[in-house]
Amino acid sequence: MDKQQVVARIATLFETEFEIAPDRLLPDAHLFQDLGLDSIDMVEMIVVLLQKEFGIQLRDSEEARAIRTLGNLHDFVFNEIGKSAAGGSADPRP
Amino acid sequence: MQLKRVVITGLGAITPMGVGPGPFLDGLAGHRSATVSMRDQWQHFCNLHSLVAAPGPDLDEKSVPRQNRRSMSRMSFYGYDAARQALADAFGSESDGRDHFSPGRLGCVIGSTTGSPIALNETFETMLPDRDIGKLTAVKFFQCVSHTVAMNVAQCLGITGTVLATNAACASGLQAAGAAYDLIRLGRQDAVLCGGAEELHPSVTGSFDVLFAASARYNDTPAETPRPFDRDRDGIVCGEGAGILLLEDHEHACARGAKIYAEVIGYHTCASGDHISQSNRIALNRCLRQALANAKISPEQIDYVNAHAAGTIQGDAEEAAAIREIFGDRVPVSSLKGNIGHTLGASGPIELIATLMMMRDNVIYPTLNLRNPAPDCDGIQHVTSTISRPMDTFIKNSFAFGGINAALVCKKMISEPALKNHG
Repeated sequence: MDKQQVVARIATLFETEFEIAPDRLLPDAHLFQDLGLDSIDMVEMIVVLLQKEFGIQLRDSEEARAIRTLGNLHDFVFNEIGKSAAGGSADPRP
Repeated sequence: MQLKRVVITGLGAITPMGVGPGPFLDGLAGHRSATVSMRDQWQHFCNLHSLVAAPGPDLDEKSVPRQNRRSMSRMSFYGYDAARQALADAFGSESDGRDHFSPGRLGCVIGSTTGSPIALNETFETMLPDRDIGKLTAVKFFQCVSHTVAMNVAQCLGITGTVLATNAACASGLQAAGAAYDLIRLGRQDAVLCGGAEELHPSVTGSFDVLFAASARYNDTPAETPRPFDRDRDGIVCGEGAGILLLEDHEHACARGAKIYAEVIGYHTCASGDHISQSNRIALNRCLRQALANAKISPEQIDYVNAHAAGTIQGDAEEAAAIREIFGDRVPVSSLKGNIGHTLGASGPIELIATLMMMRDNVIYPTLNLRNPAPDCDGIQHVTSTISRPMDTFIKNSFAFGGINAALVCKKMISEPALKNHG
């Protein structure tokens, strides 16, 4: 999966789950301040949605806690998928 | 200590007849039944014999902001809508009421039988196939908890006073009104949004079905059931909805020039303590007498009994016996469950709202489907057709599994705006 595909799938996720219009989904948009997410949304996204969408297990990830912007999230997911493909630390699930 | 007087200043309802108290009253006046066949929806459940129910309306859930909506189930949407109706009724549609109360002085007490049965079902269906907790969403828990309606309504409305959930099955909503009455009487709150909310699910009907307490003989003629007090009654029909009232300190209500539907003058709740599922006429009698004593009135001063009577074989007979022992055949008695089924924890406040409106209109609507009063329900004044007569004081009963009993006594207060507001 290339970076563009990751960005597109995350955009769809944000539109359907968080009801955010596509034109607001800019890479430098702050998840809390600009997109209006809160801590419950972050848990929902990190623990449930990203696992379901990309098959990556992130509950205990320290790096996930550092995500602030949508661009951070794109990079993070892309890297995790890469790690998974290389047999790294991510925990891909079918 | 000088106890406060407590009055009712706002009403809101979602019933199987529709949104708001108006459609509900129209349904009662038109002697309509909201019971429908659930055969298509429920027939795939093995050994579920009762295939009838009284569903509520579908609301526009998307009208609730997402971050409020995500923790709400159908019963919370019902409770929230009814609470907003009650506030709009009390303060006008331009206000949500919060401006009228000091911080922490508006409370919220709403009961239900359980947390959302739909959410509970989804939780276990998601988790159990792989025993995988990780598949649960972060917000599902907030729909499953027993105080889900009370907390969601309080969150949506920014309520910062006392928030309680009175979870006592079919007495939940009337216990909520009673708890609100006590909170205001004691001066702990200036006003409380109170009531109950429920949602339909086959597991709920199934819970009664397995106890032989759900109607199963009228699956092909749903409008014929439930049949409170009738010779041919065969159990309850589950309904869904919400009833929310604004109870308010009388002084507070008068100071803001509120319209007043009635004064709550007495309440009692007690347990039978002898059987988990069967009503007991001695305990019911004690509950009613204690509510009257709390109201400082005699049985002769009651003009109408709004019965719990859900259409069960045993429960209706025990309630009729308790009413007979106290009121004889002098006081009109009817149950509104023939129209809207048994909305369980919401039934107390929903039927209380209807009774307040009957009092307003000087009318008493009959028990629908009561054609042949059963011998074991005899000796009380059954209302079998609409009666036009003044009603100043009434008692509302709710009885629940666990031997939980509740009764609330209300008295009319003359207030012209309130008399003209609804319907």
